[in-house]
Amino acid sequence: MNCAECRDNLVACAEGLLDSPGETLLRAHLDACADCRAEYQAISNLQQRLIAHAQTAAQVSIAEAVMRRVRRKQVKPEGETIMSKLLKYRWGLGLGATAAVAIALLGFLLSTPRAQAKAAEVMTRGAKALAKLSSIHLRGQIRAYPQDNFASINPDGQFYSIELWKQFEPELKWRIEKPQRVAVMDGLSTVMLIKTANMGVRVPQPSSSAFDTEWLHRIASLSNTIANELRNATDKGWKLSLAEETGPDGKLKSVVTVLANSGLLDDDYLKNKSFKNADTRRVYRFDAQSELLESVQIYLARPSGEVPIFDLNQIDYNEPIDLKEWQLELPADVSWFQEPQKLPDNQKYASMTAEQAARAFFEACARKDWVEVGKFVSPVNQQLKDYLGGLQLLSLGESFSSKAYAGRFVPYEIKLSDGTVKKLNLAIRNDNPSARWQVDGGI
Amino acid sequence: MSQNRVAPSLIHDDANSLARLSMDLTDKQYVQRCRDGHPEEFGSLVVRYQKPLFSFLASRVRNRQQAEEAAQESFVRAFVSLSKLRKPESFYSWLLGIAERVAREQFRFEARHWQDPEAITPLVTNDTDHTGDSPVEEAIAVLPENHRQVILLRYYEGLSCQEVAVRLKIPLGTVTKTLSRAYALLRQELKARGRAERTINRTDEP
Repeated sequence: MNCAECRDNLVACAEGLLDSPGETLLRAHLDACADCRAEYQAISNLQQRLIAHAQTAAQVSIAEAVMRRVRRKQVKPEGETIMSKLLKYRWGLGLGATAAVAIALLGFLLSTPRAQAKAAEVMTRGAKALAKLSSIHLRGQIRAYPQDNFASINPDGQFYSIELWKQFEPELKWRIEKPQRVAVMDGLSTVMLIKTANMGVRVPQPSSSAFDTEWLHRIASLSNTIANELRNATDKGWKLSLAEETGPDGKLKSVVTVLANSGLLDDDYLKNKSFKNADTRRVYRFDAQSELLESVQIYLARPSGEVPIFDLNQIDYNEPIDLKEWQLELPADVSWFQEPQKLPDNQKYASMTAEQAARAFFEACARKDWVEVGKFVSPVNQQLKDYLGGLQLLSLGESFSSKAYAGRFVPYEIKLSDGTVKKLNLAIRNDNPSARWQVDGGI
Repeated sequence: MSQNRVAPSLIHDDANSLARLSMDLTDKQYVQRCRDGHPEEFGSLVVRYQKPLFSFLASRVRNRQQAEEAAQESFVRAFVSLSKLRKPESFYSWLLGIAERVAREQFRFEARHWQDPEAITPLVTNDTDHTGDSPVEEAIAVLPENHRQVILLRYYEGLSCQEVAVRLKIPLGTVTKTLSRAYALLRQELKARGRAERTINRTDEP
C-alpha cells in the first residue's frame, strides 16, 4: 500500500469499515510511514473532539419546548393543511412526534396505493386518540432472555412478561420491567438495574427512552410508531394493510398489519437477534369505535416460518399509576456501570485491535488481574470475578462485524474454572471517549 | 450471563428518532417553508441543530440548565427574526451568532446578580483539545451543507456511517469521502481559529 492509497482509506479505517485484510495492510503502512501515521492520529484526535462535544449534548431534547414558545409567538393563522390539522391535535407533549407523523403521513398519502393509505389513516386516528391520554400501562409477553437487553429476542426460547408504565402528564415518567432487568425514569434521571449481574446504570438526566427500550416506547407513544412505520414503508418498501374483524367482545376492530424488513443481509450476525434488526409482521388491533389501540402482536418472519415473539394483550389507559413504580429498589451492593475514561497509558489500549483486546481481557481474567480486567469492562464486580476468574482461553478467532453494531465480535472458546466450556462471540467496541475496547456483551 | 449485549452503552432518545423521521430538506428549504406559512417546519430546524447549539452554548454558560435555556431562547429569537435572515442557507451560522449574544446577555446578567466565581466555569471540561473559546460547532458552521449534515448525523445524532448512508440515500463510500473532506476542512478551520486566538491573546498581553 502506498501513501495515496493509505490516505484514501484512513477514514474508513478509523470508522472500522475496512475488512480485515484491508485493515492489516493499512496498519502495516502506518507502522512504516510517520507522515500517514500523523495524519491518522490527527483524524482520530478530531473524531475524539467531535465525540466529546456531541456527548455533552447527547440527551438534549428541547424541540417541544421551543415549538410551544414559537407557537405562542405566531401571529399568522395556520393554513388548513393536513399537517396543521394534525399539529393542532396535540401541540404539547407529543408535538415533535405529531409533527413527524404529519410529515410522514403527508408524504405517504401522496405516494402509496389507497389500501395502504387507509391503514395509515387508522393508525393516525389511533395516535390522535392516544394523544388525549395522560398515562398508559402495557402488559405483554416477550420471547427473550429474561436478563438480556430490552430489545433482544430469543425466538426459540419461552415467553417472559414485560411491562411498561408511562405517565405523559404532568411530567414524563416511565418504567419498563422484565424478570431480570428493570429501568425507571422518574423525571429526574434514568436508572437501570440488571438483577443477575447486580449491576446498575445511571443516566443523570431524564430521557424519553433509554437502554434499548425505544421499540416499546414507540408502541406506547403510537404517533412515533406510525411515523416510523410510514417512513419505512416509503423508504424501505414495508407494506401496510388494513382489515376489519369482530372481536371477542362483539365489537368491530380495525386491524393494521405491517410487514417490516430489517434491511440486514441474511448472513449478518445480528439479523433477527433484536426487535431493531428483525424481519417481522406486526399486527395492531384498534377498536373501530374508540379508535384506541387494543393489542399488538409481533411475529418473527424466518424462512422456516413465523414465530410469535411479542404479544401485547393488555393496555390500560389513564389508569392511576402507583407512585412506587417510579422508585427503583437497588441492592445495597449494586455495582455501577461507568463510561471508560482516558488512562495515563491509554494509548497502549487504544492502539489494540479487537482481537488483541479480547485476548488481553481473557488473559487478565485467567490470572485474576482485576485491575487489568477493569481496563476492558465496567463494573468488575463479584459476579464477574466468580464467573470468569481463573478461566482458560482455548481459542480466539478473527473478529467480524455487523451492519447493526458499532463494535466488533470476536469468536472465542474458554474453559471456566468449574470446567464448563463456553464457545461464544465477545461483543467489543471502542466508540467511547477513551477509544479503548470495552466488552459490551457476549460473555 | 447471556450471549447478547449486557452493557447498556446505547442510550436512545426519541429526539434521535425524530431527527431520523423528519424530512431531509435543506436549511434553505425549511426556512422558505416557514416563511411560506408553515411555521411548524421550524421544528425540523430545531431537531437538526438543537444538539450542536447546546454544545456550543455549553462552553459559554455556567451549567446545563442555562445552556438549555439559552438554546431555547436562541431558537425562539431566530424564529421571530426569520424574515430578516438574508441568506437562508446560512441559517446555522446565523443561529450561532444569535446564541452568542444570548450567552453574553446571560453572562452579564449573572455578573450583575451573582458574585459566584464558578459563574464562568464552562460545562465542557472533558475536551482535552478544547483550546479556550473555539468550539468545533463554529467550525462546523463553516462547512458546506452536505458535509455539515454528515458530521451532524454521524456525531450529534450518533448514526453509524451505514445509517448515515441509508438516511441520506447515498452510497457508503460517499459518506466516508464526505467525512474525509469534512475532517480536512474542519482541521483547517480549527487551525486557523487557533492561530487567530493565539494572535489575539498575544495582543492582549501587557
